[in-house]
Amino acid sequence: MGWMDHMQDQEYDNHDGTSDATPGGYPDRRRPGELAFAGFLLAASLYLLYSAYGIAGFEALSSPGAVPMATTAVMVISALIVVIRTAKLHTFANETISGSILPRTVIIFTGLLIAYGLLLKPLGFLPTSALFLIASIRILSDRGWGFVFAVSTGSLLLIWLVFRIIFTVLMPAGIVPEAEFIQFFRDLFQHGAA
Amino acid sequence: MDSLLAFFTVFTQPELLLLVGVGTFAGVYIGAIPGLSVTMAVSILISFTFSWDVYPAISLMIGIYMGGVYGGARTAILLNIPGAPSAIATAMDGYPLAQRGEAGTAIGITTVMSFFGGFVGIAVLAVAAPFVSDFALKFQPRDYMLLAVLGILLVGSLSTGSLAKGIFAGAFGIAVGAVGMDPLTFTQRFTFDIPLMRGGISFIAVMIGMFGVSEALLQLHHIGLPAIRQKITRIVPSWGTLRKHLPLSLQTSAIGVMIGALPGTGGDIAALMAYDHAKRVTKNPERPFGQGAIEGLVAPETANNAAVGGAFIPMMTLGIPGDAVTAIMIGALFIHGLNPGPMLMIDQPNMFWFIVGALVTANFFMLLFGLTGIRLFVKIVEMPRSVLIPLILLLSIVGAYAVNNSITDVYWMLGFGFFGYFMRHYGYPLGPVILGVILSRLLDDNWRRAIISEREDLGRFFWGIFSSPLSLTLFAAVVLIFVSQTPVWSKAKSALARRQDR
Repeated sequence: MGWMDHMQDQEYDNHDGTSDATPGGYPDRRRPGELAFAGFLLAASLYLLYSAYGIAGFEALSSPGAVPMATTAVMVISALIVVIRTAKLHTFANETISGSILPRTVIIFTGLLIAYGLLLKPLGFLPTSALFLIASIRILSDRGWGFVFAVSTGSLLLIWLVFRIIFTVLMPAGIVPEAEFIQFFRDLFQHGAA
Repeated sequence: MDSLLAFFTVFTQPELLLLVGVGTFAGVYIGAIPGLSVTMAVSILISFTFSWDVYPAISLMIGIYMGGVYGGARTAILLNIPGAPSAIATAMDGYPLAQRGEAGTAIGITTVMSFFGGFVGIAVLAVAAPFVSDFALKFQPRDYMLLAVLGILLVGSLSTGSLAKGIFAGAFGIAVGAVGMDPLTFTQRFTFDIPLMRGGISFIAVMIGMFGVSEALLQLHHIGLPAIRQKITRIVPSWGTLRKHLPLSLQTSAIGVMIGALPGTGGDIAALMAYDHAKRVTKNPERPFGQGAIEGLVAPETANNAAVGGAFIPMMTLGIPGDAVTAIMIGALFIHGLNPGPMLMIDQPNMFWFIVGALVTANFFMLLFGLTGIRLFVKIVEMPRSVLIPLILLLSIVGAYAVNNSITDVYWMLGFGFFGYFMRHYGYPLGPVILGVILSRLLDDNWRRAIISEREDLGRFFWGIFSSPLSLTLFAAVVLIFVSQTPVWSKAKSALARRQDR
């Protein structure tokens, strides 16, 4: 496949996979980490197959384990095909894990999201979200702190109002006395109306 | 008469009319902003509209769906970045037109053509669905099972990616859907003796993770995106232009409805196939394809909006989604205690006619918003991604939490988000995963029903398939998809070609 080497990177569009019609990756090249991912999928599928066998074994075709066993077997076979095919491909010389697959911002955001998940319950929705928005907008934009604060608090307030009032979604209150706060305004309006 | 009343429900209730309008308006912008997709928006919304009645919830979702499929075209034309997957083909000829300073013409044509395609799709839905649902009553459990398998396979085989990866994604989805207690025997499946897993994995968490978080993480790669300012003059296209492209638009609408109606495949695949079709049938385009051919706008835009109506056909008649968005809507109907399938059409025909009415309304709103408000549009699309991406992530978390008020769902959502991020990078389609999760129960139930009714005998089961024309057709389609992707097929084809040459 010598002629492929001369192909320019740009000739492939959508290699990040924004759509099912044109999934990411390259048809004839391996991306960095692709083989490891395929290998991981194969290992995970094998473990799931073992776990599916444990549900009911080969007891009956209509057993609760029949479809799980069939699907995990399909996973193992297709993952194996993918591993074999991927292993045969050459890698892209100009793509690296840190450049194309996991750039620093993605890792930072992964960390931020995990931190959000951990803090949400103890700290409450409003403070956690404020911290998250301030940190992430500051990291992504090159604007000053004033802009970052104004945009984060403004949009958070809007989101909170919309979801709390229109969609009646209850997020963990944490350290913020949300209910008392809303009740205060309710009383205020009721007194005003009366 | 009742169905006519149901059809006009949207018009008689100002609240619903407003919701469809708001939904369509939001949809146009969600579709247009790169990084915000319709699938993402609908999957996040499903958790927020959880406490609503079913009609308002569906109204809002239909508006977003219709508007969003159209909205992607605008950014495709103005920025050469498809705002939504269904607009990938639109960028190929839309952007060259904008570069020539004809962005207004391009937007006008895409709007009117989307409207046209949308109507063809809805008309086919209204006419065909009642017949299909009558027919669907004859479906045996094994037919449902085969249809579900077919739907999961179709995405992998009709897209440009690898079938093996598509099959893996589908099987993975079915396995995820099986986690928890088996509803028939209360056996634990894939719970690993962790009490938390007994309740299963919330499919909304899976969807928001796969379509919200993974997309947002992916967008971090393209943070600095320049916007092009365009002066937009004439928008409403001339009558002559429309008449000239009528035959093509009818053909591509038909392609759109068909692809939409096939279980699993939606507007993005329809648009690409229609674009290919237009390239083949247009003998003398005014401009070559890829350099601003009007036909290159007409084809994908009619097809992707026609696919919307098409996608509702299997959803309403069989309970099998036509694409990822209808998969989510099936989830929404489940949450509201409705069970999509042939019985829904019989028990609650009003629901069907209400959806048709809402689609028609959304289509009109789309035309209205499409031909106006361009100036506002340019402002909104210029919203910096450095603000947008954190907001999407925040909304995804709120959405995942809101369904069950459970922090576990947030962790699942984040986990599937990271996993989906890698799947996207390495070319595994995400649609089959969602389809698998949604169809897992249907597949499992129908397999067990089918095999029990054949007294656990595989020979009898296959005899049943071969003795029923419907089952045989479905089975043949499943086999054909496999065979067409294996080396045996291409070898046979080339051998056949050689023989003919002689």
